[in-house]
Amino acid sequence: MRKVLSNKVAIFLFVFPGIVLFALTFLAPIVLSFYYSFTDTLGPGTQLTMVGFENYKELLLHDSRFWRSLLNAVLLGLGYIILQHPVCILFAILLDRLGGKAEKIFRTIFFIPCVISVVVISRMWLNLLDPSFGIVNKLLDIVGLSSWKHAWLGDTSTALISLLFILIWSGFGWGLLFYYSGIKGIPEDLYEAAHLDGASGIRLHWKITIPLLAPVIAVQVTLAMITALKQMETVFLTTNGGPGDATQFLGVYLYNKAFSASQYGYANAISILFIIVCLLATYLSNRFIPSENA
Amino acid sequence: MHMTSRYHKNTLVAISTLMVAMLAACSSGGSTKAGSESSDKDAKMVTLRLFTNQPDRKTGQGLAEQMVVDNYMKENPNIKIEVEAIGDEPFRNKQKAYMASNEPIDITMVHSGADLNTLVQAKYVRELDPKEYEGDNYKFFSGAFKSYTFDNKIYGLPRNSDYEVIYYNKKLFTDNHVKVPTTFNELIEAAKTFRANNIVPMSTNGKELWTFGLMYQDFAQRVSGDPNAILDAVDHKKPFTQDPSFMKTAELMKQLMDVKMFQDSYMTADYGTSQNLFTQGKAAMWYMGSWEAGMASNEKLSAEFRSNLGVMSVPRVEDGKGKATDLLAWNGGGYALTTSSNHPEEAKKFFDYMMRADQWAKAAWDTGAAVPAQKYQLTGKESEVQKQLTDILMNGTSMPGASFIDFGTPGFKDEAQNALGKFFAGSSTPEQLINEFQAAADKQKH
Repeated sequence: MRKVLSNKVAIFLFVFPGIVLFALTFLAPIVLSFYYSFTDTLGPGTQLTMVGFENYKELLLHDSRFWRSLLNAVLLGLGYIILQHPVCILFAILLDRLGGKAEKIFRTIFFIPCVISVVVISRMWLNLLDPSFGIVNKLLDIVGLSSWKHAWLGDTSTALISLLFILIWSGFGWGLLFYYSGIKGIPEDLYEAAHLDGASGIRLHWKITIPLLAPVIAVQVTLAMITALKQMETVFLTTNGGPGDATQFLGVYLYNKAFSASQYGYANAISILFIIVCLLATYLSNRFIPSENA
Repeated sequence: MHMTSRYHKNTLVAISTLMVAMLAACSSGGSTKAGSESSDKDAKMVTLRLFTNQPDRKTGQGLAEQMVVDNYMKENPNIKIEVEAIGDEPFRNKQKAYMASNEPIDITMVHSGADLNTLVQAKYVRELDPKEYEGDNYKFFSGAFKSYTFDNKIYGLPRNSDYEVIYYNKKLFTDNHVKVPTTFNELIEAAKTFRANNIVPMSTNGKELWTFGLMYQDFAQRVSGDPNAILDAVDHKKPFTQDPSFMKTAELMKQLMDVKMFQDSYMTADYGTSQNLFTQGKAAMWYMGSWEAGMASNEKLSAEFRSNLGVMSVPRVEDGKGKATDLLAWNGGGYALTTSSNHPEEAKKFFDYMMRADQWAKAAWDTGAAVPAQKYQLTGKESEVQKQLTDILMNGTSMPGASFIDFGTPGFKDEAQNALGKFFAGSSTPEQLINEFQAAADKQKH
């Protein structure tokens, strides 16, 4: 076995199909996309005129919808990092301390949103937040806060925050799962030693749990930024970027430009910038977030 | 040296093995295809693929379409027609994907104007000879091919005469003592009364935005009295910003929002949601097209609703130059043949059969599914809704023949709809709406 694995031909044979697959499914579309981004084509097969950097100039200098989409994605990313992840870590610690049957039950409950289809989640929240028949407004009525009633997803002032809430809620289970398994990997004797040294409560977790979770946090922050940038399905199924452009996200914007507006060349320019932004976000989060134990 | 040559030898063997494997895979794929073709030939069976936006095959236009398909298969036992039917929004997107991959669909439903223009430019739909569709077999209304014509060539045939009306629930009007509005101010008063009684005055599908485009155009026509003014503005013949009727119309639209004409969730409501609100008796009116004539005979809807369903013309505007009988009419949906068809001759035979006046037009009218774009015979069994729709069409005084959002490029449609979305969400003013329409028209000219 060792002999086979040290044979370069064997290595090549094992790796080659993977490389071909990668080239055909990842590199080739990106190269094609890059090419189309310099054209004004309406779609593959239609007339194709090279327009140089026109699409990029229009996007970067004149397209406020693009910048709005990017801003919304950044806000979602920050929402994940500042709101969702600390709560995930807190719940992961509490879950770990809970132990026994209750731990298993709550672990399952928290993970339920992650196994529900995005379509069902979107439909469910559309119904819950419906201004006339939704339970949220009905509850506000019951507790005497009728003045707070809103067309949550239909009003420009509340649409984004409502959507961010849905996205943060539906991704909560995944974050919790990662942190929970990270915490489970921390040896119990470290806690015991800290106890003997007099550490307890918040201080114990601040000094032991959080530093030892650093590698998980680093990966999670990177994933959160990329997930936020790539967000598409829930937005498409709930608001489709509206009302106006209040909940516009890059994925939905590029999809609509390519398939509804038939601005295929322009949509490809968006997708190339999209890739660049994702790579940049990954680089920055890797660069500035320490992933090693201090 | 020895090592290197051994590597070369091994590499050669590896590459040769891989190539043999790939060639074997290719050849086996080829032989399978040839095999299936020959068996097809033996059986003389031809399978045609019809791609449509009518997923409900039991009522309305889906039923009419299926009746024609079944008729054809009965008369031609060697033809099998496979129907792929999905809802309109996913249909539009999947059609673009099919266009991009040159999917061998044989007959496809098409949306005239901007959408069809893209298919024409991609050479995905076949040119048709209009002379073949003249005469008694087809009986198309004059001007029916307008939105299917590009560079004096036609690329599809319309299935319906589409025009906007307001469907209303007679019982809700009677119970709340509201007069069926014939003017804009009466419409506003009706909305106020319904709102006071906790009833949604009018349901609409704001998430999809195109209904706002039609509503805006409908009232603009009533304000200016000129059905072509808005099309000329899209065409860059006369700016949006220089015709005061466009600003006046935007202000009227603002009034509709101010009196809460639409359901509270109108910006997130899709077609089905807005229709349900109306058919379940929770909204008094629904602004929609003549293609919804089938509601009157749709047994899935409650008998109470069907017996209370009425149709009214869009109200005239008090100080406008237009009349109540001005009709926002065009030929939207239709069918086309694709260039990627595997059976072009058989596909055309079926297409020609389907578009005959005694097939689609008759089936659509007899089932109450829609108002055809061809002359149709009254059967005497028409629903009240069908009779009212016929009256509205026959009494129509002026018709633009195109929807303005579909009159320009797909890019214009996207920009104009986005402007309407912002406006109806309350985040832009009438002035901004008109300026954004103008910017969208300028952009497509550029």
